[in-house]
Amino acid sequence: MIAKPVRVRRVATGPFALGSLTPARVTEPADADQTAAALCAARNAGEALVAFGGGTLQRAANAPVRYDVALSTKRLNALHEYDPRDLTVGVGAGMTVADLSALLARNGQFLPLDAPHASQATIGGTLAAGWAGPRRTAYGRPRDLLIGAIVALADGTLAKTGGMVVKNVTGYDLGKLYVGSHGTLGVIVRANFKLLPAPAVRRLAIAPFDEDLRERAAMQAGALRIEPAALLMIDGFHEIAAPGRARIVAMLEGSEQNVERATRELRSAFGAAGIAETRLIDGDAATRTFASVLDAYATVAGDASVTFVARGLPVEAAGRAQRVRDALGRADTIADLRTGDVIVRAYDRFDAVRDVLGTATVLCAGSSTTVDAWGAPPPTIATMRALKTQFDPHAVLAPGRYVGGI
Amino acid sequence: MQTFASRLTDALGPQVVHTEPADLAAYAFDAYSEDRLPSAAIVPRDAREIGIAVRIARECGEPIVPRGAGTGLCGGAVPTRGGLVISLARMNRLLELDVRNRRARVQSGLVNLDLSSAIAEHGIFYAPDPSSQKTSTIGGNVGTNAGGPHCLSYGTTTNHVLGVEYVDGNGDVARTSIDDPGYDLTGVLVGSEGTLGIVTEVTVRLLKLPEAVRVCVAAFRDVESASEAVSAIIGAGLVPTALEIMDALITHAVEAHYHSGYPENAGAVLLVEIAGTVEDVAAGEASLAAIARAHGALSWRAARDRAERDALWAARKGAAGAIGRIAPNYYIQDACVPRTRLPEIMHTIDGIARDHQLPVGNVFHAGDGNLHPLLIFDRRDKRQVQAVIDAGTEILIACIAMGGTISGEHGIGYEKREQLSLVFSRDDLAAMGNVREVFDPARAFNPDKIFPSGATCAEVKR
Repeated sequence: MIAKPVRVRRVATGPFALGSLTPARVTEPADADQTAAALCAARNAGEALVAFGGGTLQRAANAPVRYDVALSTKRLNALHEYDPRDLTVGVGAGMTVADLSALLARNGQFLPLDAPHASQATIGGTLAAGWAGPRRTAYGRPRDLLIGAIVALADGTLAKTGGMVVKNVTGYDLGKLYVGSHGTLGVIVRANFKLLPAPAVRRLAIAPFDEDLRERAAMQAGALRIEPAALLMIDGFHEIAAPGRARIVAMLEGSEQNVERATRELRSAFGAAGIAETRLIDGDAATRTFASVLDAYATVAGDASVTFVARGLPVEAAGRAQRVRDALGRADTIADLRTGDVIVRAYDRFDAVRDVLGTATVLCAGSSTTVDAWGAPPPTIATMRALKTQFDPHAVLAPGRYVGGI
Repeated sequence: MQTFASRLTDALGPQVVHTEPADLAAYAFDAYSEDRLPSAAIVPRDAREIGIAVRIARECGEPIVPRGAGTGLCGGAVPTRGGLVISLARMNRLLELDVRNRRARVQSGLVNLDLSSAIAEHGIFYAPDPSSQKTSTIGGNVGTNAGGPHCLSYGTTTNHVLGVEYVDGNGDVARTSIDDPGYDLTGVLVGSEGTLGIVTEVTVRLLKLPEAVRVCVAAFRDVESASEAVSAIIGAGLVPTALEIMDALITHAVEAHYHSGYPENAGAVLLVEIAGTVEDVAAGEASLAAIARAHGALSWRAARDRAERDALWAARKGAAGAIGRIAPNYYIQDACVPRTRLPEIMHTIDGIARDHQLPVGNVFHAGDGNLHPLLIFDRRDKRQVQAVIDAGTEILIACIAMGGTISGEHGIGYEKREQLSLVFSRDDLAAMGNVREVFDPARAFNPDKIFPSGATCAEVKR
């Protein structure tokens, strides 16, 4: 296709630096066609291009090996389709998660993406980074909520996948491929989601516990009949949710009766574990406190910290978090008792995290650190490399950022 | 030189390999109307044997078609070019059950319902429940990304698959997990209808059985008003676990066979299932009944007990079979529209069937906007056969015009491959072709499926 001119606005390149590389220029396409044209132009010029949303999870991939153009999705923030009665929405990739959440909330609906720093994080960036948060067992991962997308590919074409319906087996489900691809196969320009009715009541329960109660607390929390939407055992991370001690944080969501019953159950379970006090936070304050917990996943604590996520089994999460704390000496951890994730904020001895947990990927890292974001590639890496070559033979898109140096 | 069939038999033995036409007849067709004898069929015991067969087939230039239970409605398991059919029927074991972490590892040939039956005692279940679940396999369900009536709140197969083991085009065995770093190969393989490899093992996510379940039936004057009620329910932000509609034709056929208690004098019935806590189920029923009444429900009744609930579901899931008993032939279509467009599309379908002088029955997953018009015909009458083909296409075109798509859960298979280009542009298809090119550059796996025949290698590869 013939590249259409993109309106050039002088944008400072500094904020788009990755590692030691600063791009020569920043492009801000206003629509899908301009995005495709920008990719086409980069390919023709032999340039390397990195898509940029809010930049909140950019350290979850490595710095590129070449970097000429930053493509900011900032202006791709249109609301394309939204009839609340359909319980679906189609938005531009550059819309922030917070803006979409606010729009949906006005209609009593929600999209539980759980993105950290939601007021900066974009829809496209959250998908591209493969982010999956603590409420995913209850509501599905972003990949499961995505029902369609339009993606600009390295050859300058626009490719649609899925659509605006909630059940769709028409052709390959390429949405799954683009989610988590960190902009190495294409640039997401539009995303369609299925939505959920917002829960009537939100309540955050915080139960600090003493060290000798840890095992019983984890066991009681894991056996709740009404399962919280999120259930986290937090150690350290002293900027959030009742700092100072180890604590269990549970997000209860649902009808008023359900949340009341869940509260009673939770109090009695924690009481049985010997926990003296369970603090409750309701409504907007619960949402805000929970957002601050999510923010902590992608917030560096000084230049020398690295935060990792390791996927695993729910019943093993608390034990794995304990082992990594024991091994590192100083580390903040979140054991996700519903998803099995272990989040580790380490301050030194970064190699030990992967020694203890096996596969662990980086969520965020301080500016003085050089930890590889991915660790050892999975056995299917050859297929992944072949996909990259097929979609982007000239390595225009985010070269070197991905697993195995893709 | 040895023939393809004899090489297979030498490598895998006569217990695994079928080469006699009488035996091969069982692998020539699925629930679609095409059939073609393969050159050979194997019923392997493990992935290793599949790898061996794939290597031999590739060396002999024979296409490879995987087969679950053969319940697919779009010809996905038909060996349209002959070659090798690989039946997963013998690989039907539950390999590993992890109750506390709610996951299971199963072989592809395990029958869907057998999994949920085997684990029910632990208070857990496997959510995707296509109507074929008594016979269809988990591997087949993975191939089509199968749905079912409970997708409304639980999602489709892809939302419940955590990883797979598959045999690739070189006959090698590979494993994927959605938790691996890197591209989501699991998500790409689910719904690829056997065109990327042979899935031999599936790790699935299991859910806790709900504390309470209630199934209710509402009667309506006609399908349009029942559809309006469904649109209103979704629009009000209520998402029960299932919202199913059957029209009068289907209800009569079902009742004649099952006697399950659906109202027979109604123009349409709405089957609603609500699951959750005791409190939520009670409150949910009250809200749903109120909306249904406000949209013209003539009656609303809750099943009294488990037996009655099961009977209503058995009848609903047996609807297509019940039609088979009263109609000479029927053709079931599968398409989706946004949920606000339900009343309009039902009206349109009625008009299309009338224009073609075909009786039509409707039994569908209304809450998802997933339609299944059943066109009734006699295959001995050429006019009727042509009318069914034309009406089917017109229905798909109408769905696309309303923002919908041409398959919600049955897949594209052989049947709808030409129509794929009604939904996707050349560029869209080229992106899919990129994936095909990586997994199966020789187009050995399930040729003639999904991709339009016009989308040649050169075109898809650009």
